[in-house]
Amino acid sequence: MFQKVLIANRGEIACRIARTLRSMGVRSVAVCSEADRGALHARVADEARVIGPAEPRASYLNIEALIRAAKTSGAEAIHPGYGFLAENAAFAAAVEAAGLVFIGPTPDQVRAMGDKRAARAIAVEAGVPVVPGAEGRDAAALVTDAERLGFPVIVKAALGGGGKGMRIVEDRGALAEALESATRLAQSAFGDGAIYLEKRLERARHVEVQVAGDGHGRAVHLFERECSLQRRHQKVVEESPSAAVDEPLRERLTAAAVALAGSVRYRGLGTVEFLLAPDGGFYFLEMNTRLQVEHPVTEGVTGLDLVGWQLEIAAAGRLPSVPGRITRRGHAIEARVYAEDAARNFLPQAGRAVRVRWPEGPEMRVDTGIASGDDVPVHYDPILAKVIAVGPTRAEALERLARALDESVVHGLVTNLPFLRALVRAPAVQRGEVDTEWIEREFLAGFAAVATAPAPELALAAVAIGELLGVPKPPAPRAGARRPSVFATLGRWRHPGLA
Amino acid sequence: MRSRWRDGDRVREVEVVPEGGGRYRVTVDGIPFEVFAECLPDDRLRLTTAEAATIAELSATAARRFVRLGTLDFVLDRETSGRRREGRAHAGGLESPMPGVVTRVMVAAGDAVTKGQPLLALEAMKMEHLIRAPRDGRIRSIAARAGEMVNGGVPLVELEDPA
Repeated sequence: MFQKVLIANRGEIACRIARTLRSMGVRSVAVCSEADRGALHARVADEARVIGPAEPRASYLNIEALIRAAKTSGAEAIHPGYGFLAENAAFAAAVEAAGLVFIGPTPDQVRAMGDKRAARAIAVEAGVPVVPGAEGRDAAALVTDAERLGFPVIVKAALGGGGKGMRIVEDRGALAEALESATRLAQSAFGDGAIYLEKRLERARHVEVQVAGDGHGRAVHLFERECSLQRRHQKVVEESPSAAVDEPLRERLTAAAVALAGSVRYRGLGTVEFLLAPDGGFYFLEMNTRLQVEHPVTEGVTGLDLVGWQLEIAAAGRLPSVPGRITRRGHAIEARVYAEDAARNFLPQAGRAVRVRWPEGPEMRVDTGIASGDDVPVHYDPILAKVIAVGPTRAEALERLARALDESVVHGLVTNLPFLRALVRAPAVQRGEVDTEWIEREFLAGFAAVATAPAPELALAAVAIGELLGVPKPPAPRAGARRPSVFATLGRWRHPGLA
Repeated sequence: MRSRWRDGDRVREVEVVPEGGGRYRVTVDGIPFEVFAECLPDDRLRLTTAEAATIAELSATAARRFVRLGTLDFVLDRETSGRRREGRAHAGGLESPMPGVVTRVMVAAGDAVTKGQPLLALEAMKMEHLIRAPRDGRIRSIAARAGEMVNGGVPLVELEDPA
């Protein structure tokens, strides 16, 4: 195993990775931008290095600065987390060229899966069904293809993925303009104007399979996750198992994902994403070659530590040995806490989180990137934390999550906590009858109406009486790296029955 | 003591009169009621009315108050210059909805614009937000340049009626 690992990320995922490193006796090196000096992820690591200005390009996306920080700190390996450089083949290659270990797949695998057209070709080769689609640079041919597929279609950037750079086109009239603007956007956002078309599947669910490969052709799956609750094509609530997957379907889904990973001799942890149509057909969407944001729900049902798996595969070149078969039990469900105003078009928020409190309990886990008094800068992804609950059944896990969200407090900036509290109590969510557009189609307007209703008179009485009494006390100046036991703020994670 | 608080799209008026012994006569938007208030540690108040007893947890950043009653959270902004604010909105000022970086300025002073037309783009938290014209008009002035970092609530564009 490694002696020391550099975490090339920030926020909750950097804290999460540091926790496993600590549990395995590996020293951790955090990196931070100037805006993140004293941030929680820098405080929980064994050491922290400032690598550049707030601007991501100059810090968390700065390959040279990251490799220099790894070299000078004596780290042998780099964990990229998710986002930033996690799926950047040039970064993976630069890490290896510097004589360091990239904790993830090979640069070629990152590159192949990063080009969504190449990934579709790999899936077809492995016998995995893909969403009907078309590609090519000739706009006239694409118009003919779109007519063959039938409207609506989705125009996607080849180097996009994860909902970025995609656009739904309802009819032929809007297609030419959409193709042109998508090409232009893809060029500016991804440095390559290549686009492709996919048929839009109506009322589809998002189901994905967690896989792990040893890099020599052996691959296993760690069951599925359901991530249909999305806003603006970004996931907000994820769970395992999926309410829409029965055992025969699970066998077909996981077999397809394992076949795909095995066919490219996949190394490390990856996620094969599928769309599940209402008729039970499933179609490959893309493969994410990294640790997924929602990996805790898989940990919740399997009792495994997925970051530990990544480290073992990277250090030893084989999959960790699991006594007997990998099994799952119960249900796990996660909600992402974002700094955004859900009632006002999900407008991102920044500021100081003056009061932060997370729920505690044996069936609860919170992966957070902030504690009381921490700043949330404007420069980065607005995810603050993930609240995860487990239970013997879906209904019990969901009820625990609802209570955990009630007990979660973030004051100082507007968060989506009120949105999440309402969402997990919605009858359709309770029944598990949702698809990827359900939030926008059926939930959002009602939520916004409730959320923008007048505050109760007692809330106004409280702030006004508070003004008279000097409550709250004026905010204290920021204290930087000060709290002695930051692990006390990280919450607990324990598997029911494994405690 | 009288105070005004912005609650979403509306402004709420509150008057608090201490009556001694922790008792207060509170009037919210003209509706009076009695409250007994007791300070608890960690910026919390125990509030007792004729109907219920609740703990309110309060936090502050600048003029903003966060109040948690039971398991519900509310955000209220102290209005110190309510009248001026309304005046500015009438004059056609368009403010940045959040702190961020101005990525594109799509109009220039003197341009005629139509309702819904994108005027500038602001990027924050890895998302781009377009600021659009709320009505037809003419750009009087622009107070932002591409690449510039701005705070939330800062006037960016001044719009006047079409010539």
